[in-house]
Amino acid sequence: MTYDASTRRDGQSAGSTAADRTFWGRLSAWGPYHALMRLTTASPRRQFLILAAFPILWVLTQHLGPMLQMLRVSLTDAYPVAPGVEQSFTLDNYARFFGDSIFWMPFFRTLTFAGVFTFCTLIITYPVAYFLARHVSRKNQMLFLLLLLIPFWVGEIVRTYAIMILLGNTGAVNLALKTLGLIDRPIPFMYTSFSMGVGIVYLTALYMLLPLYSALEKLPQSMNEAAADLGAGAWTRFRRVSLPLTIEGISSGCTLVFLISTGFYATPVLLGGPSTTVFAETIAGFFHVAGDEWPTGAAFATIMFLAALIITTVFQRLMKMLRKGESA
Amino acid sequence: MNDRPELFRGNRIFLACIYWAFVLYVFVPLILMVLMGFKDSRFIGFPIRSWTLEWYTGVFADTEVLSTFGYSIAIAVLSTLISILVGTWIAVLLEGRKFAGRGLTFGLTLLPALVPGIISAIAFRIYARWLGIEPGMGAIVWAHAVHNVPFVVLVVMARLSTLPKSQIEAARDLGADPLITFLRITLPYLVPAILGASIFCLLLSFDDFVRSFFLGGYEPTLPVMIFAMLRSGMSPEINAIATVALVLTAAIGLWAERFTRRMNKER
Repeated sequence: MTYDASTRRDGQSAGSTAADRTFWGRLSAWGPYHALMRLTTASPRRQFLILAAFPILWVLTQHLGPMLQMLRVSLTDAYPVAPGVEQSFTLDNYARFFGDSIFWMPFFRTLTFAGVFTFCTLIITYPVAYFLARHVSRKNQMLFLLLLLIPFWVGEIVRTYAIMILLGNTGAVNLALKTLGLIDRPIPFMYTSFSMGVGIVYLTALYMLLPLYSALEKLPQSMNEAAADLGAGAWTRFRRVSLPLTIEGISSGCTLVFLISTGFYATPVLLGGPSTTVFAETIAGFFHVAGDEWPTGAAFATIMFLAALIITTVFQRLMKMLRKGESA
Repeated sequence: MNDRPELFRGNRIFLACIYWAFVLYVFVPLILMVLMGFKDSRFIGFPIRSWTLEWYTGVFADTEVLSTFGYSIAIAVLSTLISILVGTWIAVLLEGRKFAGRGLTFGLTLLPALVPGIISAIAFRIYARWLGIEPGMGAIVWAHAVHNVPFVVLVVMARLSTLPKSQIEAARDLGADPLITFLRITLPYLVPAILGASIFCLLLSFDDFVRSFFLGGYEPTLPVMIFAMLRSGMSPEINAIATVALVLTAAIGLWAERFTRRMNKER
């Protein structure tokens, strides 16, 4: 992808052609533009630097910058620093996390919830993805998929509210159960880990469904047929053929859903109760009050990020080992 | 699709039931929420005995609600423009080019999409303060733009990888410089991807809660306003506002889906 300035000159010296009368022709013949182009494309190296400078600067300052700044603030004793006060570095903010169960309880609860909800999402969406990829004709696949996409364009808050209406004491589920004569008094679904789970699975299902779908779609049908011809039942076929061959999709879907589930703030606030406080609420608490609690909040966010990163990395390694083990 | 459907009929019926149950799971809550917005009572709950449009007329007479819609849309449009510009640039750098640090650059490019919501919001909040950006529209636009860049990069890179190299070479042989080649060959080829990514960014920004919540000033975006209303209890006005937001996002999404499919067919 190198450009030789001499080619350009030869092209121009060919005299007045139809191209020179167009906007682009006139632009390239225009002196200052021509000079600029010769300057910027003088060598492949310079051309590359001009192309690469902005993207690299952007990802360093805008993508990495906020994370590094959060890490730096988490190691300070005060942020922002009051005028005239010396800012010093400390690990106290991290020590604070381990010192009080009011901090680490929500942390472990969040990781447990995220794990359980991720597993539930997998169990629920796998058969759906399987049906879409294996039992729907190519022509209809997009239509069937689109049907599931529509609700996912709707925002997090609106869908959380919809779950509140569904599960409330006078909600649709309780009404249906009452009409069927199964219950006398409404079941209090709301403000429990159950309502939170229903909400979070509702919000994340698509991020599991799409990787599973694309993994299942690639799976050759002949394998299932061969297995069936050899006398394998539905369960055996699933366990010995489909499941091992879609581990990659399962792995990326679970990683994505786990990361997203740990990051929810509004949904646990609205659907959960006092017994289901998640770590996002703990972190947010430090930022509602002005100033001096920020370093602690930053430290807690860093702990959370590292934990999520470690868990997903270990998980992906395990899945990879599992895949190798299956194919060996 | 099965060549021998008779082999798997039992599974098929079983799986079809699960699929349709799942469709119900994703649609029923939203349908109930929409219906509740037409209920002739302030009390949110079933059964619904009589109907009204009162909540809608009330909401649309409220200039504050309308300005919140406008505010959210303005943020979505501005942040999308930035994301598209930056994302396309990064995609052009990364696609089909080998250089030292490419893997690292790609990893860092995807970082904002992988950081869990609350952590990303906190990191942006701290960074904005460090840069001296006050909470408010500018801060939200910036955070949404950064967060959405990875999605643009992925979509544009996918399209870019299918661009025939011969077209670029032909333009070069005819004496076009790199910039003109990009503007006249590459960019027109990327239009479907850029439009698709734009719609996706618009929806992500319009629906985003956590970043808008932590970076917002006194003026709320739409999700932040609904959240604040919900904290003081459910009310039919929320249903009316949420329904309008729902119809808006679903309509844009559907239109984009049709549009990109038509574009792909023409390719």
